[in-house]
Amino acid sequence: MTTLAVTAPAGRRFGIGAIVLIITGLFVLLCLAAIAFGSTWIPLETVAHVILGGGEKTEKLVVWQLRMPRVMAAAIAGAAIAFSGYLLQRITRNELASPGVLGVVDGAALGVVLFLAIFSNESNSLTVSVAWQPLAAAIGALTAISLVFILSGRQSSSAIRLLLFGIAIAAVAKALTTVFMLIGPIYQAAQAARWLAGAVNAISWSEIQIMALCLVPTVLVAGWLAKDLPPADLDDVSSRSIGLNLPVYRIAVFFVAALLTSIAVAFVGGVGFLGLIAPHLARLLVGRARFAGILASMLIGAMMLIGADLLVRVAFTPLEVPAGTVTAIVGAPYFLFLLMRKDKTNG
Amino acid sequence: MVSTLAMSPRSPGLRLGLPQVYAGLILLLALAMLMSLTLGYKIYSLDQVWMAFFAHDGSETAVVIAGLRLPRALIAPLSGAALGMAGVMVQTLSRNRIASPDTLGLNAGASLAVVVASIMFGVQSLAGLSLAAAFGAFVTAIVVFGVAASAGGLSPLKIVLVGVTFASLSHAFVEVLLTSNEAQLQQLLFWLSGAFVDRPIALFYNGLPVVIVGGVIGLALSRALDALQADDSTAAGLGVPLGAVRGLAFVAVALLTGAAVSMAGPVAFVGLVVPHAARRLVGLRHIHQLPAAALFGGVYATLADVAARFVIYPVEAPVGAITAVVGAVVLLVLLMRRAA
Repeated sequence: MTTLAVTAPAGRRFGIGAIVLIITGLFVLLCLAAIAFGSTWIPLETVAHVILGGGEKTEKLVVWQLRMPRVMAAAIAGAAIAFSGYLLQRITRNELASPGVLGVVDGAALGVVLFLAIFSNESNSLTVSVAWQPLAAAIGALTAISLVFILSGRQSSSAIRLLLFGIAIAAVAKALTTVFMLIGPIYQAAQAARWLAGAVNAISWSEIQIMALCLVPTVLVAGWLAKDLPPADLDDVSSRSIGLNLPVYRIAVFFVAALLTSIAVAFVGGVGFLGLIAPHLARLLVGRARFAGILASMLIGAMMLIGADLLVRVAFTPLEVPAGTVTAIVGAPYFLFLLMRKDKTNG
Repeated sequence: MVSTLAMSPRSPGLRLGLPQVYAGLILLLALAMLMSLTLGYKIYSLDQVWMAFFAHDGSETAVVIAGLRLPRALIAPLSGAALGMAGVMVQTLSRNRIASPDTLGLNAGASLAVVVASIMFGVQSLAGLSLAAAFGAFVTAIVVFGVAASAGGLSPLKIVLVGVTFASLSHAFVEVLLTSNEAQLQQLLFWLSGAFVDRPIALFYNGLPVVIVGGVIGLALSRALDALQADDSTAAGLGVPLGAVRGLAFVAVALLTGAAVSMAGPVAFVGLVVPHAARRLVGLRHIHQLPAAALFGGVYATLADVAARFVIYPVEAPVGAITAVVGAVVLLVLLMRRAA
């Protein structure tokens, strides 16, 4: 491993740094653009001015209360889901793995819908703080991924098995979600339906705070775990021989990945295909470099969700089309393309 | 080949002859349909049902039975039969026991076609929408099989991944179309909810000939389908024209799925569960698998519809939620048995 790093040409390493810098630049530009665009156009320099503390009252209101929360939520959630996808693809050594396919997203959704159904009163308001919502999502997601593990049994190291059981668990969770949406109060069902489709529109600063507070430690743990990720071309036996306790390590990575996704999903809903595509594009851009890969995945994930939200805002206003539909419409064909391409290279 | 299939393993616990199996299924179906007519928010006696049909006196009871209960007592078994037969053929074509119109995205494709036809082309007639549903199912079948085949063979994982992906793609498009055309939302939710309640009886008369045509095509292909259960070269060696059989079978699957979706919307996982039951009852020969799947599908859908009236009584649950839960559990059991 170290030899690889030493022998890597300096130009290539500089290249990765430059690419990450360019992605970061694009990310900042997209954030500014997402704040500038909307029902009224706010010039970019005004946006910058307001962010730095200036601006008039209405401009401040629009930027800080209406647009900024959406952009922030999309950025944080997109980055978390992308990181989760990166971890899952690396640990299963399968580029088709993602939080969605492994049942994590639907498990989290079931947790949230149960939470909404159980803790709401006659007047359709929550009886407990919304801060508990990520806990419900996490419990749902962890239950789902544990079931996937338990059911795959001894073959849990086989990515194919995990994926098949993930799809089945996702189907079960989806079915139960439908049932509980029907049993719960009608208003909650409508709320849940909008949320399930994945939308960042109605998010508030306090929710963003909770999301960020939950995510920061999780991301740190995930980053600490990620430094031990076995190289992509190393099989189980070789990984063990270089001193990795694979079964325990693998479970830890799966759980952290599930946590990352579930916290994001708790606030922005079921955003499809993000966790699948962002790590892919990152790999295309920066290759197998680990921390550059993670950083690029997170930035790309954030940009995808910001972009999707921007698109639905600009193209469909005043309708509230959920951003999740855009990620699905872009993501599904890309996934199919991957499926078709993968087997050509494998013969 | 055919004779080996005839002796093929049927469930060892069930040593019923074929006539008994069919008689039993028909009896169950009749019973389920009677339950569908009598049980519900209000429970009617057989006398009242008889009255409603043969001595309709315009009373509320008679109106409810003939106008509300009868359509669902007819549409539920017909949809179940269509999805059951479609499931049998899809599982044979893909040689994949976890394939079904749902896991392959056919239901979702049919729903999308209905929404597109209604919103973008202004189709309003029931016949037109039924046609759109069949067309959507057909196109999705071709695309899913095509993509999966070019992605390196029809392995269970590949074909299900492609199908699930297409389903989420269709759902996303449906979501966009519906949110941008709220006027038609209510009317279309009718198609998309997956339920037998409040369907006009005209849908039954529209669907019946389509299901019959699909079923007859399936039966006509039954020998070729038997051979396809082995691998392609065996089937070709037995003189089966592979391309023609696959194409015709696709048409049959599309007609059956389209008819079911146009009558009841996407009722989840019926096409996954029913073929397994049918194979346990009558073995692997399609000449028996298809009729058994039709009958059992009818019983299953009708009973699920009756159950839907009681699980959250007095409110009615959509039958799709019930079949989804049952189907998802069956899917898990099937996967675990493969793993063992």
